Amino acid sequence: MSAQRIRDIVIVGGGTAGWMAAAALAKVMGTQAYTITLVESEAIGTVGVGEATIPMITMFNNVLGIDENEFVRETNATFKLGIEFAGWRREGHSYFHPFGQFGVDMDGVNFNHYWLRWMLSGGSNDYGRFNAETEAARQRRFGRTGHGPQTSLPNINYAFQFDASLYAAYLRRFSEKRGARRIEGQIVKVDRNGQTGLIERLTLKDGQTVQGQLFIDCSGFRGLLIEETLQAGYEDWSHWLPVNRAAAVPCAKVEEPIPYTRSTAREAGWQWRIPLQHRTGNGYVFCDSFISEDEATRLLMSRLDGEAQAEPRILRFVTGRRRKSWVGNCIALGLASGFMEPLESTSIHLVQVGISKLLAMFPKGGFNPLITDRYNAEMEADYVNIRDFLIAHYKVTEREDTPFWRYCKNMDIPDSLATRLEIFRTRGEAMVVQHELFKEQSWFAVLAGQGLMPVDYHPVADLLSEDELKLRLAKIRTGIQDRVSGLPTHQAFLDSCARAPAA
Amino acid sequence: MPAPLKVVIVGGGTSGWMSAAALVAGLPPGLCEVRLVESDEIGIVGVGEATLPQIKDFNDHIGVDEADFMRQTQATFKLGIEFVDWGFKGSSYIHPFGVHGKPLGGVPFYQYWAKARLNGRVDDLGDYSLPIVASRQNRFAFPSTDEDGLSSNFAYAYHFDAHLYARFLRGFAEARGLRRTEGRIVDVTLKPEDGHIASIRLESGEVIAGDLFIDCSGFRSMLMGQALGVGYEDWTPWLPCDRAYAVPCERAGALTPYTRSTAREAGWQWRIPLQHRTGNGYVYSSRFISDDEAAATLLANLDGKALDDPRPLRFQAGRRETSWSRNCIAIGLASGFLEPLESTSIYLIQVAITNLLKLLPGRAIDPALVSEFNRLIDVEYGRVRDFLILHYHLNGRDDAPLWRYCREMPVPDSLKSRMALFEHRGHIAKYKDGLFQPPSWLAVFVGQGLLPAGYDPLVDNVLQEHILRELDQFRADVAQTVEEMRDHGGFVADFCAAPANRPLSSRVAS
Amino acid sequence: MSRPVRNVVIVGRDAAAWLTALGLKRAFGRQGVNVTVLELPSMVRSADVLVGLPTLEGLHRLLGLDTDDMLAATAGAYALGQQFANWSQARPPFVHAYDTHGAPIHRIDFLQHWLKARSEGMNVPLEEFSLGAAAAKHGRFVVHGDATSGFSKARAGYHLDASAYIRLVRQKAIELGVQRQAGKLGEVVRSDSGIVSVSLAGGEPLAADLFVDASGVDAVLIGKVLEQPLESWSPWFGCDRVLVTSGPKLNPLPAMSRISGFKAGWIGMFPLRDRTPVVAAYDSRRISDAEMLQSASVLCGMRLGDAFVAPCEPGMRSAPWTGNCVAIGEAAVVLEPLDAASLHMIHVGLSHLITLFPVSAEAMLEAEPFNTSMQNHARNLRDFQIVHYRLNGRLDEPFWDRARETPPPPELAAKLDLFAARGAVALYDDETFQEENWASVLIGHGLIPRGYDPQVDTLAPDELIAAFQRMLGFIASTVRDMPSVEAQLELFAPLPSNASF
Repeated sequence: MSAQRIRDIVIVGGGTAGWMAAAALAKVMGTQAYTITLVESEAIGTVGVGEATIPMITMFNNVLGIDENEFVRETNATFKLGIEFAGWRREGHSYFHPFGQFGVDMDGVNFNHYWLRWMLSGGSNDYGRFNAETEAARQRRFGRTGHGPQTSLPNINYAFQFDASLYAAYLRRFSEKRGARRIEGQIVKVDRNGQTGLIERLTLKDGQTVQGQLFIDCSGFRGLLIEETLQAGYEDWSHWLPVNRAAAVPCAKVEEPIPYTRSTAREAGWQWRIPLQHRTGNGYVFCDSFISEDEATRLLMSRLDGEAQAEPRILRFVTGRRRKSWVGNCIALGLASGFMEPLESTSIHLVQVGISKLLAMFPKGGFNPLITDRYNAEMEADYVNIRDFLIAHYKVTEREDTPFWRYCKNMDIPDSLATRLEIFRTRGEAMVVQHELFKEQSWFAVLAGQGLMPVDYHPVADLLSEDELKLRLAKIRTGIQDRVSGLPTHQAFLDSCARAPAA
Repeated sequence: MPAPLKVVIVGGGTSGWMSAAALVAGLPPGLCEVRLVESDEIGIVGVGEATLPQIKDFNDHIGVDEADFMRQTQATFKLGIEFVDWGFKGSSYIHPFGVHGKPLGGVPFYQYWAKARLNGRVDDLGDYSLPIVASRQNRFAFPSTDEDGLSSNFAYAYHFDAHLYARFLRGFAEARGLRRTEGRIVDVTLKPEDGHIASIRLESGEVIAGDLFIDCSGFRSMLMGQALGVGYEDWTPWLPCDRAYAVPCERAGALTPYTRSTAREAGWQWRIPLQHRTGNGYVYSSRFISDDEAAATLLANLDGKALDDPRPLRFQAGRRETSWSRNCIAIGLASGFLEPLESTSIYLIQVAITNLLKLLPGRAIDPALVSEFNRLIDVEYGRVRDFLILHYHLNGRDDAPLWRYCREMPVPDSLKSRMALFEHRGHIAKYKDGLFQPPSWLAVFVGQGLLPAGYDPLVDNVLQEHILRELDQFRADVAQTVEEMRDHGGFVADFCAAPANRPLSSRVAS
Repeated sequence: MSRPVRNVVIVGRDAAAWLTALGLKRAFGRQGVNVTVLELPSMVRSADVLVGLPTLEGLHRLLGLDTDDMLAATAGAYALGQQFANWSQARPPFVHAYDTHGAPIHRIDFLQHWLKARSEGMNVPLEEFSLGAAAAKHGRFVVHGDATSGFSKARAGYHLDASAYIRLVRQKAIELGVQRQAGKLGEVVRSDSGIVSVSLAGGEPLAADLFVDASGVDAVLIGKVLEQPLESWSPWFGCDRVLVTSGPKLNPLPAMSRISGFKAGWIGMFPLRDRTPVVAAYDSRRISDAEMLQSASVLCGMRLGDAFVAPCEPGMRSAPWTGNCVAIGEAAVVLEPLDAASLHMIHVGLSHLITLFPVSAEAMLEAEPFNTSMQNHARNLRDFQIVHYRLNGRLDEPFWDRARETPPPPELAAKLDLFAARGAVALYDDETFQEENWASVLIGHGLIPRGYDPQVDTLAPDELIAAFQRMLGFIASTVRDMPSVEAQLELFAPLPSNASF
């Protein structure tokens, strides 16, 4: 390995992935000791649609030192409390996968077990009542909690729904202010070092060259560096997650934006609805083996709740992941490193994770295969984990009304997931380990929501008397009501963001 | 804090000294300044006395130690009263402090017994009462504190020498600030403006003024009856006994944990076991027997040697028309008399005292307090009266004029309908205030031969065999629990033997 | 043994008929007692509400009904007490909560200490010392445990939609085997000793051993046929009409009834979870039905739906059980729709009828104790209602002046005198309300006793103040910590939801 010190970082491709990388590097590594150059072609265009996120993004924004209200203003953002899954279990049914906790863990045992005890002995099966975010979503309310004096009321965990292209632009301004350099142009040649195989130089169409010691491939599905140059390979997961197209279109907003994303199961996939401040983002994610692009597009257009504000766009993809995200001196992020449908808003998170792991393992000079392998192993684990979570949405369904759903309901699934589902069915636990992105609460919300109701629960939950259990349930519910009733409406909160920086 | 209320108690005895003790020990100090005036010469109507369980509450409230008080009053325990020959000659039943059986399905136990009886099961209701079975075997134990247990479902009271009790309370009260004055009262002065008692004057010339006067002067009712002129309501037509002879005798036989009342030709004879001797008396109606015959009957029916000449007493069943008039409250015999058939005398004193403490006036006496006090006392006297009338009225004896008279006399309507309802379906209405509760009425009804011809239909919801099983089981449980109880005599000897007593088997001078 | 009672016929309608039917069938059905309801046309309207005291829970247990189920089916709500406003020009609203005040200090009733403290300038209203009142005001549900024992016995009463409630009770009764025939009343045949048979119009006569008149104010058996007179209580009640209507549901949901005086009577709101029933009692000589409906809207501050009016004449039959006919509900006793009295009287009647169910069809001695008890209960409740009028502080208003100046019945007069003297409450036989309830209402309406128990004077003021502060602190922290009434209802008596998730 060359011991050449890293000085020049080159990011290939803009969009969310590219500019997130640029911003993070600019903030953390800085442009004194390093140069950060991002090469993008406006011509190629970025895959910008209304995008939803998960709460971890606030950590990313915090690292960058971004004022949240400014960010909300700049990206046309609304707040997100979770995702409504309509029609996934069966038509007419709907459940909510919220952020945050269900109830309160008691006596060392997860709340879910107490709820299960209560439900199995005749109580209602609406666990959403025990989650503050669900209640806030039901009431279309939102507010930031957790700052100020300690109270015993539950906090509200949240993320954002925003215009990804505005986010990219915002981060571009951020990066450029901190010394990152943008070069516009199409890359036509990639030069590697003959001995080491490391990428050294890019040549643009107009003849410019860009040197670098570390390259970040944010070039999208094609993986200009990671795949076309370094042939990392792609692992195809289509047999488990068959959707391979998305038709996307923004439409006019018809009501005050709701503080959550909606995913509605359709005949050959699902439709997203992401409310932004000034319009609504929509998309139909489908599998072209079960429906044609034209038909899917037509159906999407017929199911908008406001007037379409642009021509619908089609995206084509293959669900899966790059076998290695880090090869040599190239790290792939975003679509270049893999793709999974935005069912649980994980795309930006995977970029964030990739960046944060890169920063943690940032090389000084020279590339240690132990580190690279470690990076790749961790990224693989994260992808697999999310993959399994997504598969569960499809597999655990009662729907058999179309060929697509019959396929999903009956398909084979990874052993890791099959085991998890069976344990959950018997004991109400998903046995989540620490590094996993989706915690017990999320698995519970989705599996129970999809109809997999556990038949038993942890024995510690039986130790309370019935009166004491009911009292605790009622107090938890009271705390949630007290919290939510004290929140403003989502729109009112958005209006207040527009005025002032966040505290 | 305002100046203390000056309370003057006229008369000693049980009523005077209970009042005194309660006022000085049952109220915060400094609230009242209490004086008691009594004349040793006049003499106290003290006889062996039986009580009701409520007396323990009284003692507890003023801070009396149970064993100590029992020692000093030659007391024994009382689980109930045995009534001999009341229903008919040869009959005997016990009216216990406790419930027969335990409720099943929300219905009183005895309803099940009634149905079983109507279906041919012949047994004694008393077998289902722990205090009754214990009494018959002369055993005693304190009720357990375990609320569900069989052995927590009864209460007890005491037999004691009322004279000694009064003396005990006197020591108790004087130690806590009560001022006793000995002397005879010769005059009572009323205030001209409102007719309240201003003061009393003693033979010695001393004038004692007060805010509140408590008349414990006995039958004479020196204050309420004489000075204030409050009339007396006569109850003789219902309760014809108007005299008694009382005599103590030597102890004989086992120490019994119950009072005995034996119906006689013209009244009834009591037997009250104390530690050092037995108290006896013949309560009779002078209409139906002469004094000499009565005395002779009494002496002929003692179970030990008489320790004195029989002492005569005269009284009139009835009560003072009000118990609180102006600033004078009558307590004890001054407020009314009901024969001690159900040991109610001390209870009625206690109830008056308790209500007085609850409604304690300031210096200006609000008439609303007086009305309420009288209302409550009216209820108490009326209840006891009706219950006593029942004993006499519900008799099957045809052998003497008293009994024929009582059987045929008109009785209050309320009593008539209680009897009719019990006979119809065993129903006994509960009272909110006052004695006696349904288990007491039940004991007397059944004991004196009034048995229900019907029963609560809710009983039919339980299978007959289940009922019989419950009855058998309960009876066996009672028998078993009583087996494990100590003999009454031994219990008393260990718990509260009076210091003057030598071992119980020898004779003791009174 | 004489002929037992095998057949019971209930002639009537609505709550009185169906609660009685269910109660009797449940108690005696196993033994083969037949219960038939001859159901006359209902007098319940869509706007009607049933108001229950906490003791209603006991009735449900007796009937095998689950209170949570009843609350769920009737969009029912908890009422921890009743708030009275505008019954006086000078005094603020007060809450009569179903709870005691404070705790005894040195074995003396708290009220006595409060009176003393008040006489020395303390300004804290009595109801501040009631955990139940605090809970009612904050919409909290009191769950008892070690902390509250010895200090509070707060319980919740109920508001229930009348039609839904009755429907559910009827269903349970029929499931249990109660027979039903519905129609208009036909013929009633009587003899000297009682009722022989009853038929519906066009129907066969139905004989029975025991008849229950549950026909409400119509009193078709006890009044019209057996001619038992109704002792009128009108002199003490100035209102002669009742209006019932409904408004939108209130958010947040109040945890108590709200009764407000106005110039010609009173108007009450008894919130349910899906609407707010409004009941007004008024003097039709001072305000017409139409004016009343308009005023109601203004007084309640909400738009109101269709209104229903009916006469209201308080009174009772001295012998609700005559011969073989027992009247239960308004056929026996009519009171104003105040203090949750009406449903309670049905409960009391039914409960006594079960305890005194006749053992013989030929001689019903049970009638006598039944009548005595019912009279006691009814008179005590009547007196409780009269208190609101007698102690009103709306001066120079003709309706209210008259109410205030009418001498109360003697038992009530004695109660008022005693309370005015000393803050002691005299309770008679068969009282629905206990010392704390009377104290709440008497003090709330401004009857402050002249004196108090002198034992209180001997206590150190510091000790007293400290005890009071501890109690207030306890109440504040306990209420904060308790679950809300809304959570309690949502979780354990949920309404069918039409939310999407």
